[in-house]
Amino acid sequence: MLKFAKNTGILGVSHDRQRYDLPLDKDGGSLFLKILIILMTFLAVLALSGSYVLSAMKERWSSGLENKASIEISAQDAEGNILTPEEINNATDNIFHFVKSHPAVETVTIMQDEDIAALISPWIGDNIAFDQIPMPNILTVSFKKNVEFDTTIFEGRLKIIAPQARLDTHESWLKDVLRFTNALKFAAILITTIIGLITIISIAGAVKTRMEVYHEELELLHLMGAADNYIAKQLQRYIFFSSLQGAAIGTFTGVVMLLIIKLAIGQMDMGLLPDFSLTLTQILSFVLLPVFIAFLGALTARHTVLRVLRQMP
Amino acid sequence: MGVTDMIKFEHVGLRYGVGPEVLSNVNFTLEPGSFHFLSGPSGAGKTSLMSLLYLGQRPTRGLMTMFDQDIGSMSREELKEIRQRIGVVFQDFRLLNHMSAFDNIALPLRINGTPEKEIKDNVIELMEWVGLGDHQHMLPNTMSGGQQQRIAVARAVITRPRLLLADEPTGNLDDEIGLRLMNLFDQLNRMGTTVLIASHNQPLMEKFKQHKRLILDKGHVELLTPKKSVKDKIRGAF
Ligand SMILES: Nc1ncnc2c1ncn2[C@@H]1O[C@H](COP(=O)(O)OP(=O)(O)OP(=O)(O)O)[C@@H](O)[C@H]1O
Ligand SMILES: [Mg+2]
Repeated sequence: MLKFAKNTGILGVSHDRQRYDLPLDKDGGSLFLKILIILMTFLAVLALSGSYVLSAMKERWSSGLENKASIEISAQDAEGNILTPEEINNATDNIFHFVKSHPAVETVTIMQDEDIAALISPWIGDNIAFDQIPMPNILTVSFKKNVEFDTTIFEGRLKIIAPQARLDTHESWLKDVLRFTNALKFAAILITTIIGLITIISIAGAVKTRMEVYHEELELLHLMGAADNYIAKQLQRYIFFSSLQGAAIGTFTGVVMLLIIKLAIGQMDMGLLPDFSLTLTQILSFVLLPVFIAFLGALTARHTVLRVLRQMP
Repeated sequence: MGVTDMIKFEHVGLRYGVGPEVLSNVNFTLEPGSFHFLSGPSGAGKTSLMSLLYLGQRPTRGLMTMFDQDIGSMSREELKEIRQRIGVVFQDFRLLNHMSAFDNIALPLRINGTPEKEIKDNVIELMEWVGLGDHQHMLPNTMSGGQQQRIAVARAVITRPRLLLADEPTGNLDDEIGLRLMNLFDQLNRMGTTVLIASHNQPLMEKFKQHKRLILDKGHVELLTPKKSVKDKIRGAF
């Protein structure tokens, strides 16, 4: 890619001549810019990976619960009277048939007594004869993905069939989680954007300073009839390679930092967090980040140089 | 390209900022292929006039025509092309100290896109001509004033410009090299280059008295041709 850019001359490198008409590579001012770019890229890597992790988290939480609901058929009726197992099972069967034939429903299963026992055993202990105490029945339902339907009407129908039935769609909990992760993700993207803007502004500032320092040399080139493009290409090329270098170091450091964080989290064994592994696109984005920043830098430099040159007679 | 007026100034004035006019109501014409000295006392405005001619600044009033074109109405692109046709020896040389003597002289050729092979041959030949053949890799700020001046001259003529402007090009040179450079200018002039040399150097101008003189004094220009008896007038100007 770089080689291509070199050969086609879009970076101002022509005839294999690594020569600048301005004493660009001989001054210390570029160190500041390089350090700044290293820092900015480092932060960008962290912010970017933060947004990737949040995406993965959201995906994991929502894919487990979205389009899913459970229906509980309580062992008591609306007035609090204990129902017989037959009454409960009848109500369950009726509900099951209604739900199964509903157009928006993909699957429905009745939870086995053992599963329910496992769920509630922490509260009431293991040694219970289930046939002696009335147990609620629970149906787990998964809905079809792209079918819109009103859950309130759906629940109303359930209540007509069996007044003690209760629909739980996890919706409100999920909504909060999604709102939370979306906000975090937005913040991460915002931070990345701000970092990008700061980088552009500092490169423009650095180029402007450089043009003031080399004003005499620039004027000389201009007076000799150098095209604005000829002059711009030199600063462009210079900024491209120094920001590429800075951005590569920043990205590398950022990725190393991520690996350390990953190791630390792995040892904490936090079940709520998703795997820290990245998709191919995300890995590619880290590889391309320095190149992107370098191109951004070169473009900014070009823009700034041309603007300053236009002010010469 | 048949240019009738290489340079034409009509009521040209120049002031720096809010200061007084350094040049006021300057009128003169230089035909293509002519050779002129520009003389006048120190501070008369020779360098300022030169800077108008190499398009380093714009006149604050009046009309300036170069290569038959009105400078005021030219686009950036056209100005760039005009600049490439002009060779300038600056009074303070303006060499680039981070690059070698060779690269300094090669710069105008690189700017106009000459192939590198051609650049090499031309620059080496010219460096030998000005007596700096074995100074190719030296940096200008490690060279003597006279050597720097020769690099400045070489850089100005390397493209065989249509117009050569030289501001005190023989100031730091002993007579022999001074004459050699004058012969270089003469040779260029014979090949069609219009030459204008700002100079204080009376003996030098005496030696080349076949050339016309523009005398600049108190912001005005007077053209003296060799046919007239100029000596007394010039004496008066110094
Ligand atoms: N950049 C500038 N800003 C303000 N005033 C200037 C500038 N350059 C020259 N001047 C003024 O313009 C006048 C003419 O200066 P200029 O350098 O053109 O004279 P000169 O004839 O070349 O003198 P010399 O023979 O000493 O080189 C002087 O009074 C000088 O102070
Ligand atoms: Mg002067």
